[in-house]
Amino acid sequence: MVRRAKLRSAELHKDERVHGDTFGRQLKLLCRILYPSTKDPSKLGNTASGFPPPGAGDDKNKDDKDKDRKKKWEPPIPTRVGKRKRRGPDASSKLPAVFPTTRCKLKMLKMDRIKDYLLMEEEFVQNQERLKPQEEKAQEERIRVDDLRGSPMGVGTLEEIIDDDHAIVSSTTGPEYYVSIMSFVDKDLLEPGCSILLHHKAMSVVGVLQDDADPMVSVMKLDKAPTESYADIGGLEQQIQEIKEAVELPLTRPELYEEMGIKPPKGVILYGVPGTGKTLLAKAVANQTSATFLRVVGSELIQKYLGDGPKLVRELFRVAEEHAPSIVFIDEIDAIGTKRYESNSGGEREIQRTMLELLNQLDGFDSRGDVKVIMATNRIESLDSALIRPGRIDRKIEFPLPDVKTKRRIFNIHTGRMTLAEDVDLEEFVMSKDDLSGADIKAICTEAGLLALRERRMKVIAEDFRKAREKVLYRKSEGTPEGLYL
Amino acid sequence: MARDTATNASSTEDANGKSKDKTSGKSKDEKDKKDEVEELSEEDQQLKNELEMLVERLKEPDISLHNPALESLRTLIRTSTSSMTSVPKPLKFLRPHYATMAEIYADWIDSENKNRLADILSVLAMTYDEGKRDSLKYRLQGSNENPGSWGHEYVRHLSTEIGQEYVYRTVNGDSPSTDDLMSLALDIVPFFLQHNAEADAVDLLLELEAIDKLPQFVDSDTYVRVCLYMVSCVNLLVPPDDEYFLRTAHSIYFKLEKYSEAMSLAIRLRDDDLIREDFEAAGMKDVLLQKQLAFHLARQQISLSIEDEEIEAILNNNHLSKHFIALAKELDVLEPKSPEDIYKSHLENIRPGFTSGSVDSARQNLSSTFVNAFVNAGFGTDKLVTIKEGHHWMYKNKDHGRLSAAASIGMIMLWDVETALNVIADYQSSEDYHVKAGANLAIGLVNAGIRSEIDPAKALLSETIEDSKQRDIVRISAVVGLGLAYANSHREDVQALLLPLVLDKAVKLEIASLAALSLGLISVGDCNGDISSAIVQAMMERDKGQLKDTWGRFLGLGLALLYLGKQEQAETVLETLKAVDHPLGKQVGVLVEICSYAGTGNVLKVQKMLHICNDHLDKEKEEDLHQAFAVLGVALIAVGEDVGAEMSLRTFNHLMHYGEPVIRRTVPLALGLLCASNPLLSVLETLSKHSHDNDADVAINAIFAMGLVGAGTNNARLAQMLRQLASYYHKEPNCLFMVRIAQGLLHMGKGTISVNPFHSDRQLMSPAGMAGILATLIAFTDAKKLILDKYHWFLYFLVTAMYPRFLITLDENLESLPVTVRVGQAVDVVGQAGRPKTITGFQTHSTPVLLAHSERAELATEEYISLSHVLEGFVLLRKNPDFMEEDRD
Repeated sequence: MVRRAKLRSAELHKDERVHGDTFGRQLKLLCRILYPSTKDPSKLGNTASGFPPPGAGDDKNKDDKDKDRKKKWEPPIPTRVGKRKRRGPDASSKLPAVFPTTRCKLKMLKMDRIKDYLLMEEEFVQNQERLKPQEEKAQEERIRVDDLRGSPMGVGTLEEIIDDDHAIVSSTTGPEYYVSIMSFVDKDLLEPGCSILLHHKAMSVVGVLQDDADPMVSVMKLDKAPTESYADIGGLEQQIQEIKEAVELPLTRPELYEEMGIKPPKGVILYGVPGTGKTLLAKAVANQTSATFLRVVGSELIQKYLGDGPKLVRELFRVAEEHAPSIVFIDEIDAIGTKRYESNSGGEREIQRTMLELLNQLDGFDSRGDVKVIMATNRIESLDSALIRPGRIDRKIEFPLPDVKTKRRIFNIHTGRMTLAEDVDLEEFVMSKDDLSGADIKAICTEAGLLALRERRMKVIAEDFRKAREKVLYRKSEGTPEGLYL
Repeated sequence: MARDTATNASSTEDANGKSKDKTSGKSKDEKDKKDEVEELSEEDQQLKNELEMLVERLKEPDISLHNPALESLRTLIRTSTSSMTSVPKPLKFLRPHYATMAEIYADWIDSENKNRLADILSVLAMTYDEGKRDSLKYRLQGSNENPGSWGHEYVRHLSTEIGQEYVYRTVNGDSPSTDDLMSLALDIVPFFLQHNAEADAVDLLLELEAIDKLPQFVDSDTYVRVCLYMVSCVNLLVPPDDEYFLRTAHSIYFKLEKYSEAMSLAIRLRDDDLIREDFEAAGMKDVLLQKQLAFHLARQQISLSIEDEEIEAILNNNHLSKHFIALAKELDVLEPKSPEDIYKSHLENIRPGFTSGSVDSARQNLSSTFVNAFVNAGFGTDKLVTIKEGHHWMYKNKDHGRLSAAASIGMIMLWDVETALNVIADYQSSEDYHVKAGANLAIGLVNAGIRSEIDPAKALLSETIEDSKQRDIVRISAVVGLGLAYANSHREDVQALLLPLVLDKAVKLEIASLAALSLGLISVGDCNGDISSAIVQAMMERDKGQLKDTWGRFLGLGLALLYLGKQEQAETVLETLKAVDHPLGKQVGVLVEICSYAGTGNVLKVQKMLHICNDHLDKEKEEDLHQAFAVLGVALIAVGEDVGAEMSLRTFNHLMHYGEPVIRRTVPLALGLLCASNPLLSVLETLSKHSHDNDADVAINAIFAMGLVGAGTNNARLAQMLRQLASYYHKEPNCLFMVRIAQGLLHMGKGTISVNPFHSDRQLMSPAGMAGILATLIAFTDAKKLILDKYHWFLYFLVTAMYPRFLITLDENLESLPVTVRVGQAVDVVGQAGRPKTITGFQTHSTPVLLAHSERAELATEEYISLSHVLEGFVLLRKNPDFMEEDRD
């Protein structure tokens, strides 16, 4: 009994919070008027038993004794709606999942069965529309709902759902209200934080405003695919194949992995000295895939306010999951992914926390569905070992400096659209012993072109290339105290 | 052709990948092409040159060079390791030369070399096939070496082409022989089986319509996966393939002496010879195993005449009561519950003072009777009727209420025949004819699913049935009692008792139709010609006006039950029914049709039912009852096949949206049938919505359906919903009555009894169970005149579907043996690689345990070996001889 009273008063307390103190006082007053014998409104529930237990006439006394024991207060079942939703279409339009995923007759038969039912549905609905058009009825109902909604409607935010038909809302003007939810509102769409329409007088929830354009998405989502494709990459066959196996194939043909009985890798990290084509390869992946491609730079994840960075990471992965299948590309991951160390600076700690959130999102408690992660960095050795452990990042793809063959192809790619003079022999540059990266080669070609442009030549001659190489190589070694102390 | 498209997709995808590279910018197309040639790395170039040289060499007339050239081509192709993402290089480079090579091949004279070239061409054709099935053509012409040596992808491709070729040859007339295809297929099948591609092997043979050739290749390593795949396919195959599959899987199991699995397939086939064969074979191998099989048979209520007394007792289900009560003791639910314990009306939100008066107490007591009966079913004790003052309770009910009150004894003492008969005997000799009738019904209820040598039901009831001087209600109850007691027993002597009632025109239609229903229950699914002709005759000869009556439908249901699950065998009777020029003929036609396809998932029949529902009939002018049956039919046909069942939920939404009242009223019932004892959240929500419908009939049916969906689950959410409904409808006696009934169903057997007619891993449908549910639901199609009027005892028809949802493990002496088991949600593991887990989210319990719908159990200890392949119901365990004590850690 005591426990019950406690629970009840806890409930009342909640109500009071909403309505202010007056409500509770009023209720007590009301109780005193209606049931003079009961002092505590919390005992109201006890007297509210429906019918006398049938057939219990003879042993009523005993029954009374047992009453307290039997009539235990049971907490209400938590409401189903109002939770943050998982991805995927809602139940009414969802089709049954088909197993197995390997290609076989059984799968086809099941798919066929689904198709058959859909065809039947279509046939039925068409027939019905023909025989007994519903438009008028729908129109009528629409008008009725509009009447109920009233006009104008207020716009508010849903703060919390209390039970199946009550919620706490806050209007734009400030105060929060405890209001009822009209029965015609699609409760599946309600979730904390969503915008809702409120009746202008009663403030009851009469509609949901859906906006599917999340501001976060618009920032990170890639609207226009980059133009670089795999064909624009010279060499790197091994790397391309690895990234295809780890990122693209699991999204396009998951059944291959299932047949093999393995879980596809979750993510890859691309590392290597600058200018070896890590970002280029990521661009090519984005160009090729039809999956949602989210790109973010490590430094973007560092935010001004405490907790914003981790939140951004969470949002990033939530968006990715909502738009699955998707690929998340985090460039320059060393901005946040460096090894953890004792630090007194708040900023440092915040960055480390951001990384911890990233760790959790990569391989945390909740499994992410079809979200693949690509990271790129120049300095893999400085990364935290937890970040690149297998399970978070399953494949580490190294981008070495190009070898002779690759250099030749890169030169070919970059000079493919330049007009070269007869005397240009690219072999000279290809075979030279300099440590040229892909970016260097591109720079040489561009520089050579610029030199030719300076002299208003329509052709690029060998001399241009030579000068360009000198320039680029000089610039490259600039700043390094090479041989200074030797 | 899934495989076909899949393979094509894979090969075209690769091609696309290439062409995408090529066409990424249309303007620079030409240039890119040049680039591509240039871009070839040195090794590639070398390989290409070499291949070209080899092809050139084949062109030359010098035969001596051919052999080494072919040999090196072969090695080059075979050794090329490819990634998943691209076409192997040699194949890519040889592409331009494919036509040339084909020409060369045509020019050559037959020789060994020619055969080898054919082999190579066959492989090449795989990558650039355009529906010509060249791969197969060259394969058939080539040397017959093992296809597996060219790799898995090739074999798969080949098997696709075999399928296509077979279809082509059979469709395009003159039926040329397909022996060559068959012999090739039989080469391929073992390869598939060895390489974990059971699905491909089965699919190939399915396409060649030669699944019966499979067993010879299957061994003890592969049979599990092969059979699992085959059995999963059965639901979706068109007849007669489904039966072939079952038979083949059965013969595989039989060959490998897996009699438990074999038996469940034999039961599914309803083939008495196979059942007996399995049973005897098991007996030869292991007596204990035979007992296990007897438990399987007993669950399905199949009788075999066996000498062994112990087995006979198992088959007769005589142990059921004992074990059920033991389970109750174990779970501590033996103490009887009163209806108030179930209602928990103190949790309802009704202000005191507003209630009571409006509800008549007779209704209230009646609902208490039913709730009491369902909740305490099988436990043998309760707080209302079996106590000392039980007699008083009878007289707290109005006349027809007494019938149900007396009958509830039968429900409470369910399965415990001997004790019950002593109690019931008092009531049978009662002065009050309603009580007497109730006692008759109780006798039937007690004996449901149990057989006994002394045959108490027949002995006690036959007299009443034949005695035409008895009051109608007493005779009716005896007829129904007999039907319930002997459901699915196929006893001819009992049939002979009831048959005259159907034929006799002097008997009231009420009695005749219920006799027909009882006959249907007794000989469910055996296509008994005598009974069916008797019922049809009754329909033709009876007065037309009379047949319009509510009772006509039970005449039809009796007929329909005879053909439960028999598919085509109902054709003749359907034809006969067309001759009946009365709306009843049409209604019964629909009933027979839906019953004959019950649980088959036949899409064409579902479509037909939807067509019936298309029309908008005016109730004043036309009879529209057949539409109600059609709606039930959609559920009845789809149930038992997961994909269809899930899809039909969508269909019901549309029916609810567009349908006329008669359809809308039946949709909730159909939902109840589809998800009996399986409280899916989405279905509950839907039903909860319908339970507030403007049309009271829809609401009542929806409430009952909620009870059916939650039957025996104690689902807390549903309990809450029902309490809300109770306060919502506290002024409407009909709805409130139904809410109470639903609450009683929800806590059926205090949450230990399920009414889902599917068991043994949802593979087998209990015909008696399905028939019982169907009879109840059909009664609800006219709830106002039946359930809500004097015939509330139709609810007792559910008894045939009631069975404890327990798992009890027994030792060799059939004594309960507690072991630890893991219980969790069943996972469909068909076609998955490796050894996937069959259950998920499991909890470890000690037996006996309860299993919810779609839950599965597995032994958590190595100490014992289960003799049954499905851990459900009664399972015999034997000590594992290899078990070692130290393994325990």
